[in-house]
Amino acid sequence: MEITLNYPFWDVGIGYGVLMAIFAVTHVFVSHFAIGGGLYLVVAETAARRKNDTERLNFLQQLSKFFVLVTVVFGALTGVSIWFVIGLLNPAGTEVLIHNFVWGWAIEWTFFIIELCAAILYFYGWQKISARNHLTIGWIYFIAAWLSLFIINGIVTFMLTPGKWIETGNFWDSFFNPTFWSSLVLRTGICLMLAGLYALLVASRYKASDFKRRLVRYNAVWGIVGLVITMLSFLWYVGAIPDTIMTAAIDKMPTPILSIRAMYVYSGGIATFLILFGLILPRAYHTVIGIGVMILGLAWFGSFEWFRESVRKPYVIYGYMYANGIDIAHADLYQRDGYLPHMAFRTGDDGADLFRRSCRSCHTMSGYHPLRPIFDGTDKEFIAGMIKGVHVAKGNMPQFLGTEGEVRILAAYLYNKVDHRHLSKIYSLSGAALGRKVYDIRCGPCHIFGGFNDKSASLIGLNDQEYNDMLNIADDLGEEMPAFTGDEVERKALIEYLTSLSKGGTP
Amino acid sequence: MNLPDYNFLPAPLWVITVLHLVTLMLHFAAMNFLVGGVIVILFGKFKNRWNDPTAQKFIKLFPIAMMATITLGIAPLLFLQLVYPRQAYAAAIVSGWFWLLIVVVAIIVYYFLYAASFSQDSSRRWIALYLSVALVGFVYISYVYSSTFSLAERPDLVKLIYTHTQSGFTLNPDVGSYILRWLHMILGAITVGGFFVGLLGMNNPQAYNVGKQFFLNGMIVTMLVGLGYLFTLDEILLSFMRSPAVWFLMVSIAMSLGALRFFFTRRFAVSGIMLLVSLLGMVTIRHYVRLLHLEGVYDPAAYAIKPQWSVFALFLNCFVIAIVAVWYMLRLNHHSIDAAHDRLES
Ligand code: HEC
Ligand code: HEC
Repeated sequence: MEITLNYPFWDVGIGYGVLMAIFAVTHVFVSHFAIGGGLYLVVAETAARRKNDTERLNFLQQLSKFFVLVTVVFGALTGVSIWFVIGLLNPAGTEVLIHNFVWGWAIEWTFFIIELCAAILYFYGWQKISARNHLTIGWIYFIAAWLSLFIINGIVTFMLTPGKWIETGNFWDSFFNPTFWSSLVLRTGICLMLAGLYALLVASRYKASDFKRRLVRYNAVWGIVGLVITMLSFLWYVGAIPDTIMTAAIDKMPTPILSIRAMYVYSGGIATFLILFGLILPRAYHTVIGIGVMILGLAWFGSFEWFRESVRKPYVIYGYMYANGIDIAHADLYQRDGYLPHMAFRTGDDGADLFRRSCRSCHTMSGYHPLRPIFDGTDKEFIAGMIKGVHVAKGNMPQFLGTEGEVRILAAYLYNKVDHRHLSKIYSLSGAALGRKVYDIRCGPCHIFGGFNDKSASLIGLNDQEYNDMLNIADDLGEEMPAFTGDEVERKALIEYLTSLSKGGTP
Repeated sequence: MNLPDYNFLPAPLWVITVLHLVTLMLHFAAMNFLVGGVIVILFGKFKNRWNDPTAQKFIKLFPIAMMATITLGIAPLLFLQLVYPRQAYAAAIVSGWFWLLIVVVAIIVYYFLYAASFSQDSSRRWIALYLSVALVGFVYISYVYSSTFSLAERPDLVKLIYTHTQSGFTLNPDVGSYILRWLHMILGAITVGGFFVGLLGMNNPQAYNVGKQFFLNGMIVTMLVGLGYLFTLDEILLSFMRSPAVWFLMVSIAMSLGALRFFFTRRFAVSGIMLLVSLLGMVTIRHYVRLLHLEGVYDPAAYAIKPQWSVFALFLNCFVIAIVAVWYMLRLNHHSIDAAHDRLES
């Protein structure tokens, strides 16, 4: 049979999301500074040279050493690390990207060469090179660095909004996709903001003086301008994401909204600090504040990336490949024969292989998004039902496309790993409290009172008989809805809980 | 649904292969300067090692050589992943932790090289320590690369490993099949490192002699080990002997010996070019070995070709622009330095 799932699975103890976030967030935090900082250096140098401001020039020279050590070394290598990580975590997705974008990356690489040479010459050239040539090299640096953002922005935005490419397969359609321009402006804003924040950090180490006052104010203005551009273009960016993508994401997960809220909070924090200690009390811009603002900046960036990734779920390339590396083009194939016959790498334990391929990139059994507490005390039937209905549950997960037989294998595998005691024993609960637990576990993944796919209208105010009838036909209520397979004790408790809600209890 | 197929190459295979091999050669050249340089500077017979002007020059240049090595390494890695994704990623995944650690080690090495290059007179004695740490890092990185890339040529072995463990804690267990390959790389780096020390120290008799020793002795040992490696090729040795790789081998050996000869007569440009050509020959041989290993399992020529000419043309343009820009900036740099000298002298 045709092999379409070509890769082994790296079964690390750490959650994939955590691993990815560690590398990606550090990289973007440094690489955007690498661009904005370049502009900052040349613009500030031009001004300082014009005024013959040696104090300022000394500061810039110091900043440029920091700049080189941070960007050329750390920025470049964390960039490489992203390559290493995505190849390990999602080789199939990376393969798609590289086949479509290899020349894009090759172009970026040429800019990268210019960028690095310019950075080195600029840094070593403060004393050696004439002012004019030094500035020229600085400008070349910034232009090359920004152009490399231009390229990578096309690839990153493609993953969320592949646009017309889905139909045409054309490179330019994929590159200039619906969120390309808004994201470019947004990221340029981030570059400016980070330039200000990093420069403030270096300036914060200066003793309070008139010079420090001017310097801190100047840097704070960069930060504020960048922040304003960023937040305005963020609205544009969100608007440019097709509605179908946004509503699906918001409907199924609180994450996009939570991360946007976090972004607002962090930008509020950054703005407050920049205005208070940057503009009003610049001499008091202490290193502790400098570090604090950097942490806020990092948190802001983390939230933004979190937003982007959460909206993209359940895909790695929207509409084309699921986050777990299952390609939609072969969906029919998997539904007909299952995943297993199409896997290149099998270990002999089919349950484990299915788990890795379909769930493991987002869940571990007991660490990251753990499945054990979700399935403890339940039964094989229920687990199988959840697997079949996983794409309608909250969390915005990829559909399980395998066969009925594979559902059974995976369910048996998961069932073997969970606690087999009765729910009442595991959680030491009884009565309505137990019922509430039963609801959370057996219904909660798909219906939250007052939240995701709320069913209170149909669930509140029935009598015992009606509740029993409903539970008897549970699997007929929705195509993906599992049958109620809890025992009599669970059933009674659940009904008790639902009845208590009807009497005005709180869910 | 009719979704775009990604199983294609966006340019003819030969174009990609040429780019792959040429960039790989450049990567090796920079790597040899770096790794070979560190070893020769650490272990060469210098009197007053840390005050030798050539050694100092190297210490200043190491961070830049590291930068060049990484930058020039990105391109061939890109092309490798384009043409051999199934093999490369699978091998990397079963060695996941070792593979990922490469980047972390590289960051540490990089900072140690900077520390060495920023060392002032007073902290000279630390340089030996900094460079030794870097060397340990190089050994790690190169060994994991040899392990992973040789593993990538053995899809069956990857499958076998994967059935036993999925946690990414295994290197290629068939050490015998690649230990000589790795040693050959390291010795080759020392050899070329000797060349570079001689080149940068051409006006410094001590450095030139150290370089010469490493270049000559290194070359002999490297060739012997390389020959030894050929015999570990086992079942593919015969096909290797019948493939064009043999011709590349002859040319490479001849070029290496030529490089040595011209080095002795101090014609460094000729020597350097011959060395580069022999390096190109070596990466080509390496390429053939890969194809022979994968014969019957995987044939990159089977890929559909769907060229993206417009993007490719843009790439070539940008590449030329990059070369011009770098050349231009170096000129600005030199002119300014010359001008500064003139100012000082007048
Ligand atoms: C693309 C990532 C991803 C994949 C793949 C994935 N999940 Fe999830 N899953 C999540 C996220 C995120 C949540 C939400 C967790 C939360 O709300 O705390 C979730 C929630 C769940 C829940 C509901 C838990 C609750 O909080 O009530 C279940 C059950 C579940 N997953 C099972 C599975 C199973 C079984 C598979 C494999 C067939 C799978 N998931 C595959 C990301 C994923
Ligand atoms: C795997 C996801 C899933 C689980 C778990 C689940 N449901 Fe459902 N449920 C659905 C789907 C899908 C539908 C039908 C489409 C819709 O209305 O969203 C549905 C429909 C319903 C309806 C019909 C609502 C109406 O409009 O009349 C009720 C009532 C209901 N579910 C109650 C429950 C209860 C009670 C539980 C726990 C015992 C439960 N569901 C567990 C997915 C689920």
